[in-house]
Amino acid sequence: MSENALNLGLSVLPGSAEERVTHEDVLRARDRLKILKTRAAKSPLRLLWLLAGPGVLVMLGENDGPSMVSYATTGATYGIGFFVPFILLTFLMAFVVQEMTVRLGVATHRGHAELIFQRFGPFWGYFAMGDLVFGNLLTLVTEFIAIQAGGLYFGLPSWLSVAIGVALVIGSLAFRRYATWERALMGLAAFNLLFIPAALLAHPSGADLAHALATWGPLPGGMGTAFLTLVLADIGATVTPWMIFFQQSAVVDKGLTRSDLPQGRIDTAIGAALAAVAAIATLVATAPLFAAHVDVSQFASGADFATALQPLIGTTGATLFALGIVEAGLVAAMTISTSSSYSLAETVSARHSLNLDFAHGRLFYGVAVASTLLAGGIVLIPGAPLLAMTLTVNVIATLLMAPALLLLLLLANDREIMRDLANGWWANLAGGTIIVTISVIGALYGVITVFPNLLGK
Amino acid sequence: MQYDPTLISALEPDQLAAATMRPFPRRKLGRGVLALLILLRVYIVIAIPIVGYAFVHALLAPHQ
Repeated sequence: MSENALNLGLSVLPGSAEERVTHEDVLRARDRLKILKTRAAKSPLRLLWLLAGPGVLVMLGENDGPSMVSYATTGATYGIGFFVPFILLTFLMAFVVQEMTVRLGVATHRGHAELIFQRFGPFWGYFAMGDLVFGNLLTLVTEFIAIQAGGLYFGLPSWLSVAIGVALVIGSLAFRRYATWERALMGLAAFNLLFIPAALLAHPSGADLAHALATWGPLPGGMGTAFLTLVLADIGATVTPWMIFFQQSAVVDKGLTRSDLPQGRIDTAIGAALAAVAAIATLVATAPLFAAHVDVSQFASGADFATALQPLIGTTGATLFALGIVEAGLVAAMTISTSSSYSLAETVSARHSLNLDFAHGRLFYGVAVASTLLAGGIVLIPGAPLLAMTLTVNVIATLLMAPALLLLLLLANDREIMRDLANGWWANLAGGTIIVTISVIGALYGVITVFPNLLGK
Repeated sequence: MQYDPTLISALEPDQLAAATMRPFPRRKLGRGVLALLILLRVYIVIAIPIVGYAFVHALLAPHQ
């Protein structure tokens, strides 16, 4: 296929130029104009500030309620050791994966779901969208569990904290402006760093941290089912399907172009670094539970960790920890519900942008509102199988990551749409290694799910 | 909203909403990619019952 056939420019579209331009285009053009002026003024830091967003949001968004519980469980079970460098490695993996979505977004100006649908056909299009929307709904439930648990720590009744969470998630859509939505969420996501002062209040040993980073140890108890489960949980806490769909759609919605690719990569790297620091801080904050031999196997939420930490790191540290858990659930609920909106609207060729007004974006906003209301409602049903849902979310995310990554790799190698931004050998080597690793780990997870005693305790 | 051609020129032509609503053509898949996609379908056929099992198992777990 020729380049021209794929380059669907203004000149080949029907109707007058004025008819073709939408409200969404005007808002995006305003943002672009600012970027063009800043680029012309040669202000690199301001340019980075204007172009940053999707990468930081996707990485801090993935430091969600269940992820922080995974890191907390890791810290309380193994202390400072093997998992410190391991978490850094998982965020390096996340960077490799997410960088491909930035290139796909700037090269094609299409979201991930619509690219799969258009290039691979309806089966893969509906499959990718269906599993994402279903997995996202279950994940949203777990985010509201985190919000509810954090609220309980502060003495708020469940219905009130869930209602506030639902109102904030739905209220964030009322901006009807991508740039405002993004900046508001970045401000909120900064509270993910509350885990850093909580970690400092645990008075960690710098020598232990340096030793862990240098030697990938110690690993008390060795490698068994518990170790493998935490390895899987920590990978699932860093690399998940919704991130791929969200960042590519956000890059397109923000209006990034090929010339913005370096800043898009830096944005993703900064997001990965911040999220890795917050994740390791969570592990460090809960390491005193390991030293005190506290059994965390029955802990179901971040609030249980905050309560258990109170006598060890003090009320301030425990409060910061609980606040961080609420923030983690809230930001993730906002980004994940939006990724469902993008994915479903893209697949059925409906308009999809946070720059849309409600009249033109009924389906787009409707998906986010409906999934948020449904997830919030499920959490409040007395006796709802919340723990079963949380466990299933992890299984779905781990098992379905391999297909999502393979489709991503195939798209990133599609030279007809990517042209000079298609994957090079190093990206394929890194991406291929990650797919194989995650597939093997996913298969192992499947086996130990069915045969839990296969590897012993 | 007022149409301002100067403002709109800040966008690349294929960034306009009208342009992005036009689908890319379906990709012609080579044998290697087709084989990978078939393998992927097999993987999914195996994975879906595991997800179902995990959910039912978690539902029936005594600590729930």
